[in-house]
Amino acid sequence: MGTVEYIQHHLTNNHIGEGFWTFNLDTIVVSLLLGALIVFVAARLGKQIEAGTPGGFQNFVESILEFVSTNVRDAFPGHNPLIAPLALTIFLWVWLMNFMDLIPVDLLPYLYQLITGDPHAHLKVVPTTDLNTTLAMAFSVFALIVFYNIKIKGVGGFIKMFLFHPFGKFFVPVNIVMTLIEEVSKPLSLALRLFGNMFAGELVFLLIALIGGTLAVGAAALFWAPLQVLLDLGWLIFHLLVITLQAFIFMVLTIVYLGMAHDEGH
Amino acid sequence: MSDSNKEPQKPKPGDAPKPAVNFLLMSAGSIFTSMIVAGFLVGYALDQLFETTPIFLLLCGLLGFIGGTQKVMRLSSKLDPVVEEKKDDQKS
Repeated sequence: MGTVEYIQHHLTNNHIGEGFWTFNLDTIVVSLLLGALIVFVAARLGKQIEAGTPGGFQNFVESILEFVSTNVRDAFPGHNPLIAPLALTIFLWVWLMNFMDLIPVDLLPYLYQLITGDPHAHLKVVPTTDLNTTLAMAFSVFALIVFYNIKIKGVGGFIKMFLFHPFGKFFVPVNIVMTLIEEVSKPLSLALRLFGNMFAGELVFLLIALIGGTLAVGAAALFWAPLQVLLDLGWLIFHLLVITLQAFIFMVLTIVYLGMAHDEGH
Repeated sequence: MSDSNKEPQKPKPGDAPKPAVNFLLMSAGSIFTSMIVAGFLVGYALDQLFETTPIFLLLCGLLGFIGGTQKVMRLSSKLDPVVEEKKDDQKS
């Protein structure tokens, strides 16, 4: 397999169906499994919770709760009991999906190929490197934004927002287009940034993996193999920061956009 | 989690900028870019609707640029008062 085929193979989803009705099975299964993991761990911890002297894991989870709670307090102006749990779910789920990027790129696809017996079977294990995942999450948040806009401001208030924001009552046609652009940009900025960062990160991991795979021939492996380990470790440590930051920004932007939907003056 | 729904307190002079706002500034670039992309998308859709290619594409692209700039300026100005007041404190 050549360099280009290797990269293309790793960036192709295991899918069924055609055209619009294509289902990326690996994305769906991995994201559902990670969601189930959050539910399982949360339910288990909920049963074992201690009030007096919490254990190490409970302390860790409490620190995440406190972190998310502080951010919701900082960025969300109104009162809505849905926001903090939503923010926490988004942060944990996106972080776990991003974390799949840190698993060695060939490990899970290789195991899958062994299990299925098909040496060319595709498996792309990072759901956030699939634009369908990030767009689906962004559109879900966007649906909530529109829902709260209409709920808080009323249908009249929502239409007024399109007519008179941001340039006042003398520029109604421009205001309509401008507000439309602003609204369309919200799911775009959420989805494309997360997808772009994760896709690029995955690509760099693939390129580093190629150093050992294709360039090492005979004694040259003594040079290329340690270089690959060093580069992989460096990029892994840096990427650990990136995946956390991307999950965090997705969460903060969701809070801010929902906060704007709750702001009657906006 | 119920703490998260308390009324937010206004920042006092000398207070450190809130972390959420700080991190939001990191996404200023993507907000700006997505406004321009959204502008072109809306323009393209309007052009298809009214068969006016490329008038709305260009106009909406420009509007997206203006809106993006406005958004980034609004976002960055959230930190300014705290920084300015801090500087004043140091002078006195």
